[in-house]
Amino acid sequence: MIKNRTAQGYLLNTLVIAALIVGFAILKNTFGKAGDFKLIFAPSIWQCCYLIILAASLNLTLGFLGQLSLGHCGFMAIGAYAAALLSLAAERAGIYEDKKGAAFILVLTGCILIAGILAAIVGLLVGVPALRLKGDYLAIITLGFGMIIVNIINNLPFAGQEGLALGSASSSLYKNGLGFGTTLKVTYIWVAIAVTLISLAMMFMFVRSKYGRAIRAIRDDEIAASASGINTSYYKVFTFAYSAFFAGVAGALYACANATLSTSSFAFANGGILNSTFVVVMVVLGGMGSLTGSVVAALIMFFVNYQIKNGVWVRALPVWLQNVFNFPMLVYAVILIIVIMFRPKGIFGTYELSLRNFISDIKHSRQLQLEQKQAKEEVRSNG
Amino acid sequence: MKKFLSLLLVLALSLSLVACAGGSTAPATEATEATEEAAATEAPAAEAATEGITIGTISPNTGSLAAYGTAVTTGVDLAISEINAAGGILGQQVTIINADDQMDPTETLNAFNSLVSQGVGLIIGSVASSCTSAITGAANEEGVVLLTPASTADSITTEDDYVFRACYADGFQGAIAAYYASQAGYTDVGVVYCAADTYSKGLYDSFKTAAAKYGVNVVAEESTASLDVQDYTNQFTAMVTAGVQFVYAPFYYDVIGPYIVTQARAAGYTGIIMGADGYDTTPEYVVEGADLTAFNNVYWTNHYDPADTDAKVQSFVQAYKAINNFTPSAIAALAYDSVYMLKQAIEAAGSADASAVRDALADTSAVYTGVTGTFSLDSVGTPAKGAAVLSFASDGSSVTTKLVDVVKELK
Repeated sequence: MIKNRTAQGYLLNTLVIAALIVGFAILKNTFGKAGDFKLIFAPSIWQCCYLIILAASLNLTLGFLGQLSLGHCGFMAIGAYAAALLSLAAERAGIYEDKKGAAFILVLTGCILIAGILAAIVGLLVGVPALRLKGDYLAIITLGFGMIIVNIINNLPFAGQEGLALGSASSSLYKNGLGFGTTLKVTYIWVAIAVTLISLAMMFMFVRSKYGRAIRAIRDDEIAASASGINTSYYKVFTFAYSAFFAGVAGALYACANATLSTSSFAFANGGILNSTFVVVMVVLGGMGSLTGSVVAALIMFFVNYQIKNGVWVRALPVWLQNVFNFPMLVYAVILIIVIMFRPKGIFGTYELSLRNFISDIKHSRQLQLEQKQAKEEVRSNG
Repeated sequence: MKKFLSLLLVLALSLSLVACAGGSTAPATEATEATEEAAATEAPAAEAATEGITIGTISPNTGSLAAYGTAVTTGVDLAISEINAAGGILGQQVTIINADDQMDPTETLNAFNSLVSQGVGLIIGSVASSCTSAITGAANEEGVVLLTPASTADSITTEDDYVFRACYADGFQGAIAAYYASQAGYTDVGVVYCAADTYSKGLYDSFKTAAAKYGVNVVAEESTASLDVQDYTNQFTAMVTAGVQFVYAPFYYDVIGPYIVTQARAAGYTGIIMGADGYDTTPEYVVEGADLTAFNNVYWTNHYDPADTDAKVQSFVQAYKAINNFTPSAIAALAYDSVYMLKQAIEAAGSADASAVRDALADTSAVYTGVTGTFSLDSVGTPAKGAAVLSFASDGSSVTTKLVDVVKELK
């Protein structure tokens, strides 16, 4: 029976993914040449992809392991710069030209993988000393490490502000490296989607494996976990490095999508929605301990930010509302406060979306609510 | 009951948000309302006739350089209202679509894409060099004319055919400071800069190169890790230790006013502090109660001097003040000039088509007369024009700006 249910689940998920891919292909073929798809949808999908991977990967540390890390974008910066430099080196070595063909895809895959691995190695180096600390201290030290990483990159002669951020160097990432212009973003959109799907699958598998159960045990009670024979420091460092790996992958996608790199984008806080603070916000908004929640929250944050800034409908609104939208940070703050007031666990809490169990989950939660209501009424009638 | 209470609280919160947004942008609101009404009345007409020219602007309206965003939008609005009142460009009315880049490269690209998807072919923007460099490649690929009012980094215009600017480049600006140091007889100088910022690092590079040329030795260098740093005491203590009397400190107004100058004096540094166009609007950012005499002996290079008696400058300053109640910053003047540059290029090209306008702008013999000087563009799209050297003066109660010199050309 269980085997049967697993098979059911696989079948259902495969069908849905196939349907999505077909739907997307039709969408792309119909609108691929039109300006809106090229200028708005494709870049948005790229940005959503790396935000999703980033938020989900932080959820491993923050939601499942229960350790607050405020330097997550530092790992992303490592990934972004590693991928960018590698692609430039490959171009100079003559491995590919013109950003097409099998050689380029190979280089692209290599860049994304190595970006992740490098970030994981740094995550390991940071994690070993840092994870001896807990709570506020860990938050402060990860914040510090995030800044250190960004500053080191800044001062590297071949990577810092001079190296890749600007003008000739940025056009070189754009012209020769893996930076994609608007047309190539459409051509290679499958890369972003495939990388996101694979990363999410790997993270889902991680949290459902023995590792996932172990780190949830550590989150709930570290002493009890270690008393039951869980090697807590090993699992903590492993999860930290694993989460850094995906931050690095997200960084590689960032380098592809933006074709210019500036370390200010990976800071602790900046004007945009991509910074270490906002990733934490996304995870909390979506629900700590729910990868589904991180995905949805990343999409929501991106959508709200993008629409407030660039939506055409904004100009049709009354002036006072437009003035509110001139201060997007206030709008995010209000959204956050509303969510935290009415749903302190985040949008999804710890719930994970499962297509197979979706209907039974809903039934189950209805029943739970009913039971709670009945229990309350009983208490009332008794009291 | 509890639910109701919390709902009430949320409502109050949203209301305060609205109130706060309404209050703090009172002057801007009126301006937007005015343009809003104008746009609303024009929109149907424009649609019906499919005439009219649309220019996009990208500026950092929020984020750490928000004052520059206001400067760009107000400068552009003034120019556009003047042009439209005088009958528009080629007989067509001009409308503006503004997009916010949040001082972030990714958001700049989003803003750019959104403008292009709305059919905009001529864009003025953005301000910070790090943001503008994110869209130069895209502007070339999409065939959109990008005219940046204030991005001074040397490499912005060198690679792409469709990118031009209205200001001089860092290579010139840093050299003026070095030239000044040598003229004033300082042979040993120090530099404090931000290694993480394109603008600051670019000026540091050009200053250092020019210093070697003019026989000035850079004997002390200190850098900061980000533009958000709020304590510069250590850097200036090092300058005192090195015994220099001239320090080049290319930063933006948001740290110069509140932190750098007062902290440098407190650290015992009494010599000259020299900066660049980022010092503009500093007097509005000084901390009340601080020792304002610290601002004596601070020099900086700028694009224009608001007190210039030139008729063109004065008519701009008066018109701007009449609408906005404050003196236009250099960025506002550059944004104003950018619009007129585009106007001249469109008229020369005979149409608002992006590639025709590009060809007109690429013509190095065209002479533009603006508030920030009379100039023509060189082969890469950067103006060859002079700079004003200004200094701050303070009697202890307020900081004023005065013109020291105008440098037309470097020897």
